[in-house]
Amino acid sequence: MKHLLPLVVAVPLLGAALLVAGGRRLPRVVAETVGCAVAAGTAALALLLLANSSPPMVEWVGGWTPENGRSVGIVLVGDGPGLGLAALASLLTVAALAYSWHYFDEPPRRHTGSFPALVLLFQAGMCGFAVAGDLFNAFVFFELMSVVAYALTGHRVEEAKAVQGALTFGVVTSLGAYAMLMGIALLYARTGELAMAHIGRGLDRHGGPDALVLAAFVLVLTGLLVKAAAVPFHFWLPDAHAVAPTPVCMLLSGVMVELGAYGVWRVHDSVFSGPGGVPEADLERVLVVLGSLTAVIGAVMCWYQRHVKRLLAYSTVAHTGLFLVGIGILTPQADDGIALYVLGHAGVKAALFACTGILLDRYGTVDEHALYGRARELRGVAVLFLVGALALGGLPPFGTALGKAVTEEAVGGPLTVLYVAVSAITAGAVLRVAARVFLGLGPQPGETPSPAYETTGAGEEPETRHRLGRVPGTMTAVPALLLAGALAVGVTPGFAAGVSRAVNEAGSGGAVTPAHWTPPGVLLGLVSTALAAGLATLAVTRPALLAEPGWAAPLRRLQSGHIGDYVAWTLLGTVLLGVLALPGVLGA
Amino acid sequence: MNRRVRLLMVLAGGAGLAALLVAACLDMPGFGGDRHPYGDRAVHESLARRTANTIASVNFDQRAFDTLGEMTILFGAVLGTVVLLRQTRDERRAAPRPEDVAPPVRRYALAVLPVAVLTGLYVIAHGQLSPGGGFQGGVVAATALHLLYLGADYRALERIRPVGLYEVGDALAASAYLVLGLAGVLAGTAFLANTLLPYGTFNTLTSGGTVPLLNAAIGMEVACAVVVLLARFLDQAVEIEEESGT
Repeated sequence: MKHLLPLVVAVPLLGAALLVAGGRRLPRVVAETVGCAVAAGTAALALLLLANSSPPMVEWVGGWTPENGRSVGIVLVGDGPGLGLAALASLLTVAALAYSWHYFDEPPRRHTGSFPALVLLFQAGMCGFAVAGDLFNAFVFFELMSVVAYALTGHRVEEAKAVQGALTFGVVTSLGAYAMLMGIALLYARTGELAMAHIGRGLDRHGGPDALVLAAFVLVLTGLLVKAAAVPFHFWLPDAHAVAPTPVCMLLSGVMVELGAYGVWRVHDSVFSGPGGVPEADLERVLVVLGSLTAVIGAVMCWYQRHVKRLLAYSTVAHTGLFLVGIGILTPQADDGIALYVLGHAGVKAALFACTGILLDRYGTVDEHALYGRARELRGVAVLFLVGALALGGLPPFGTALGKAVTEEAVGGPLTVLYVAVSAITAGAVLRVAARVFLGLGPQPGETPSPAYETTGAGEEPETRHRLGRVPGTMTAVPALLLAGALAVGVTPGFAAGVSRAVNEAGSGGAVTPAHWTPPGVLLGLVSTALAAGLATLAVTRPALLAEPGWAAPLRRLQSGHIGDYVAWTLLGTVLLGVLALPGVLGA
Repeated sequence: MNRRVRLLMVLAGGAGLAALLVAACLDMPGFGGDRHPYGDRAVHESLARRTANTIASVNFDQRAFDTLGEMTILFGAVLGTVVLLRQTRDERRAAPRPEDVAPPVRRYALAVLPVAVLTGLYVIAHGQLSPGGGFQGGVVAATALHLLYLGADYRALERIRPVGLYEVGDALAASAYLVLGLAGVLAGTAFLANTLLPYGTFNTLTSGGTVPLLNAAIGMEVACAVVVLLARFLDQAVEIEEESGT
């Protein structure tokens, strides 16, 4: 069974290669069917492997099994979190491909297979990163997913905005990748190993942490946090999400960004957790500080957007902040909670993007103000969007609520308030959009002159050939299924316990009570949902009361769209990471 | 943010990062040692499988899975370029005009072209024996074809370079690498296992088991990919024009 592990990468790659080879002759419907079938086959394979991942599988590609504990080969790790994320990425890929069925306006001439092929390459990159047990191999697949994601983001080249967004994404993520590669080189120089667990043992043999370990930690984390869009590395994300085709947004927000956070967890757990690595107190400081900052800034920025895709993008930033805090707490219970939260969030966020895509393709705008009351006719989409918003806020029994509740219990104290507040504000913003756009509640937002930095989202080109008259069945079925999946995470008996077991088996281990619903958890979920509903009601009925205060303007102006600014922030962020992690190295 | 603030931020960030890197370098192992834990093992394994060029053994045997990823990055980048540089609605094709080439340039380009192509193929074929290999040779062979653009003109290049065929070649070469990997799984060993073919006689073209085959697949993939990549950019520069009035 473990020999099948590399196939979660090889199958989508082969599918992509065949689509490109045959794409010149294939009619569009065949190319899209083949794409869906390959993605679904990979998903089935990942699920099959996942079902057999206890105890975790370890596969040395090419049969380079270590002799005397040493190997020259590449190791793949098939444990619960890795294969779980590979399965999640694959299922979301199927959803994105099904959603984009006959979707794009203009496939490149005689290249009908190229969009599904790119998506399959993206899937292979995500799966490869998820199961990588070798740091350099993880970097290779990190690069694969980045390169393909740039092309997918800039897919609508007719629009200057799309090119700009993709370029920003490309420059900032490439910088992160260079940093990560330098960090890997430092670790290799010290230990002569590339398998994560072997690097960890090599560091431990060398003694306590020193400047080299600190630099390697900071550089590797920079790469991963750029991908995870943590503040101040997050600027690329809203710009890219605003312009990327909707099915691509589903993948970027639903799973790719979360893979960055997963990378942090994996790298810490296998490389830096020993006595020669970075002390736990330092990692906790780094992740809790950056995570809280990310969550708060993401939530504030989310609230003040009127471009619906940007609003959802900032909500992803805010939630990634919450994930990083949970990982940073370094308790098995918080890990369980985050795993469930990520699963639930993926379904909910992808569903919300899918609904927004319908708005874009029907009305040619994603501006909350311009759409006021116009989508009253789309009853089904309205229900999906409302349910998605409530689930985002943590309405039990959705998976988001269960994950949030378990994490809140693990973090305790003021951080619990952070979780409740951030999920309430982001869900409140989405509910506000729902109330205005689908229900036409409250007074119509006036034509107040918007500040120069506002991206309204008006005048967008639909991604489909014509503005949609009737919404195709696939475009509503996909968000419905995704929400059903998020619900299943919360209600399927034994699912949460299974996730707990898999996460703890992969991590530091130890006997842990499996994750489950508790009365305080349900209560906190209800509280944040109620808060979200209250905020949305207030915003819709008394717009002046929650209008943008003066202090938010400088914060919003930081998102300038100028690549130079983002590069400067990335550099400063790297230094900030170093400063936050410094005390442990000085004390060692 | 204005230029001044941005510059200050870059300077502050750069200084901090530089300090971190300098401190890290001071803790690096000394320069020029004669032992390395990985290097020693890699050379040993390479010789055990009769691959004369250890780097080829690392690329196509010991860490062949990384090479798969790297090949795919190039494949994905080229596919992305094809998609992004497509002819959009507001663009049309114009036939390229023949251009005069200075006779010395023409003579030199045409004389060097076969030599350059042959060099590229040689570098690919001897990848498992001597420095070079599929990545390097593929780039040499692909760029060699473009001497025709310098020596003659764009239409001459287009005649020997049917882009569609190269696109198919690119995809088939990538598939070949994958199929060679899958053969290991089907044989019951492991993905990309170099245990299917005899290792042959040390330092001959066929030595090293599957190494020469994977190397050849990479050579073909890279050559085709670079041709397609250059073709897309040349197309954009030479043939595709924005429609007047837009």
